[in-house]
Amino acid sequence: MKRFITFGIALPAFFAFVMWACSSDNNNENLTTDTFSPTPYQIPEAKYFPKNLNIPIDNPMTVEGVELGRFLFYDGRLSGNTSKDLLMSCATCHIQENGFEVGMSHPKFINGKTFGLPSEKFPEGQPTPNYMLPLVNAVYNHNGYFWNGFIHESNDFRGNEELNIPSENDFHFKNIESVVWMSITSPHEMNSTIEKSVAAIDAIPMYKKKFKSAFGTEEVTYDRISKAIAQYVRSIVSHNSKFHKYLRQEAELTVQEKRGHDLFFSEDADCFHCHGGSVLMTTNEYFNNAKDITFDLEDRDRHSISGDAMDIGAYRAPSLINIEITAPYMHDGRFKSLDEIIGFYSEGLVYSDYVHPLMKNVRQQGVQLNDEDKDALKAFLLTLTDHELINNPQYSCPPEIKGWSGQ
Amino acid sequence: MKSINIISIFFCVSIIVASCGKNDDHEKDIPAGKLILNFEHFANGNELAFDEMKYTNTAGNKYEITEIQWFVSDVTLNKNNGSQQVLDGEKFAHYIDTNIPETNRWMVADEIPTGEYTSISMTFGIKGEKNAPLMYTDPPESDMLWPINLGGDQGGYHYMKLNGFWMNKDNQREPFNFHLGVGQERDVDNNITGFIQNWFEVDLPFSAFSISANETKLVSIRMNVEKWWDQPNIYNHDDIGGKIMQNQRAMHMGIENGKSVFSIGTINSVKE
Repeated sequence: MKRFITFGIALPAFFAFVMWACSSDNNNENLTTDTFSPTPYQIPEAKYFPKNLNIPIDNPMTVEGVELGRFLFYDGRLSGNTSKDLLMSCATCHIQENGFEVGMSHPKFINGKTFGLPSEKFPEGQPTPNYMLPLVNAVYNHNGYFWNGFIHESNDFRGNEELNIPSENDFHFKNIESVVWMSITSPHEMNSTIEKSVAAIDAIPMYKKKFKSAFGTEEVTYDRISKAIAQYVRSIVSHNSKFHKYLRQEAELTVQEKRGHDLFFSEDADCFHCHGGSVLMTTNEYFNNAKDITFDLEDRDRHSISGDAMDIGAYRAPSLINIEITAPYMHDGRFKSLDEIIGFYSEGLVYSDYVHPLMKNVRQQGVQLNDEDKDALKAFLLTLTDHELINNPQYSCPPEIKGWSGQ
Repeated sequence: MKSINIISIFFCVSIIVASCGKNDDHEKDIPAGKLILNFEHFANGNELAFDEMKYTNTAGNKYEITEIQWFVSDVTLNKNNGSQQVLDGEKFAHYIDTNIPETNRWMVADEIPTGEYTSISMTFGIKGEKNAPLMYTDPPESDMLWPINLGGDQGGYHYMKLNGFWMNKDNQREPFNFHLGVGQERDVDNNITGFIQNWFEVDLPFSAFSISANETKLVSIRMNVEKWWDQPNIYNHDDIGGKIMQNQRAMHMGIENGKSVFSIGTINSVKE
């Protein structure tokens, strides 16, 4: 179970910014470097949160880049379509009020099951293979994105002929930049082409100025679209749940919440070994958490990436921040409520040869909580909702995009 | 008067600058070498094989190891005259993770003055006064968190997580977490009434070495895993079960056994 941790050295924003200014992208003839001076964007510091940020050296965050990214994140024309019936944006599924997940009450994606824009083969849209992961605090994660960690800093797939990968920037599968264009072209998401999507954005007059402010040029490219949206996604940080305020001694937990906290952070409920190593409420590691006896080797589990037999059936432990509003749960969305998931860990575990040893209660089918403990644990989990995040206008749909968001 | 004052200031500054320069030169003149600590994990005299149910402890439990994550701190070099050098130039504690091979090697930042050293000692885990909750903000160290409700304000991190499986009395493969950290004192109702520091110091046998100017010494420190369950306490997974963070009796057995777990592998001069 070798971890694909890269010992990233923290890249201070200023250093990254200077390097970026010297990078090849800025050598584009269209750049007017004499007037191009975007404002560096600082991820707000918060007590106990990681200092080592996952910001690629060739895409330092700027105020203008984040703002452009927000517009593009909410713009359904990114799917290459202009018909309002066929719009899909990142925000179609990543909904702020649901902690940037689709949630259970979406009128189209029933019970959180998403699918792509229609195609000839899939007139109703191709189902997305896995359910969603939280799109929050990604800037703190160095251990890969997606349920299996496929997107990782150690990758470089550019020019891989076997996989038919182009050789240009951002086809590296290293970071969020790659996730953006993957979402644009994936048949189970926007189902577009890069050319079509770039043309659709390029045709919208207001973006000329925004690209100029963010990148020093009006030219719309997939590379700049990816970079801008990645910047916006990295800006989505959650520091202000009641639990985080409790840690900072800015809030008190109720007696029941505190009891739930102590269960969570002990071997009685034993959530913290996978979900509580840091204030992120996840280790970002991969675990077979004892929910299945048999496994399909075609699944997109951790084993499909690492090749390690011990990773069969293993998926990322997602952050529990906002867990109240991010149902359904697990990579396959099998649990629809907190009660179901607490019940699973209490008495629903099943043994397989691939179970992670941290699931040490598997032979007892779980941690065996009584009803009072379950209620307390649930009360604590509800303290992980960051109401400030989900109501923050900084992350919301710009008025200029309303009607085009595909939401 | 003004010119006298300016001359006086210039004179004083000159002396300060000159004396600073002398100190720098003096420090540079102290002959020193470098030290690399290499951490190895062995079982029954051979390199530990992970994820193989091939070992049997003294209690008769068959077992396998999946991963080991642990802290060593306050590594100290001892001289015959009683003087000691604590390796804390860059950090006082080093994290070792068998899932992250790079962590097995610690390039110590401290300059090691030349001479003969009679032994190396170290702390397994982190001493209470240095083990502050949430002092590590970034993984992987932050993932070693030992909850404050189980460790108080001097028990912020696990000393070690050693995870694996054993064949239980029903001949079923069952997970165990041999996790060591701060223990709890409890009353008859199992309420926590205090905390017990379980870190311990290790004097590594046969760890004498010498170092000369500009030499780099590589010292291999070996964890002999089977000894965690061997002596003086025979540790039986069937009796104790798969979790011990809230079982001070089991952790105490572990730390008593732990004092004989570590040994020196090799000490060599290397080119870096």
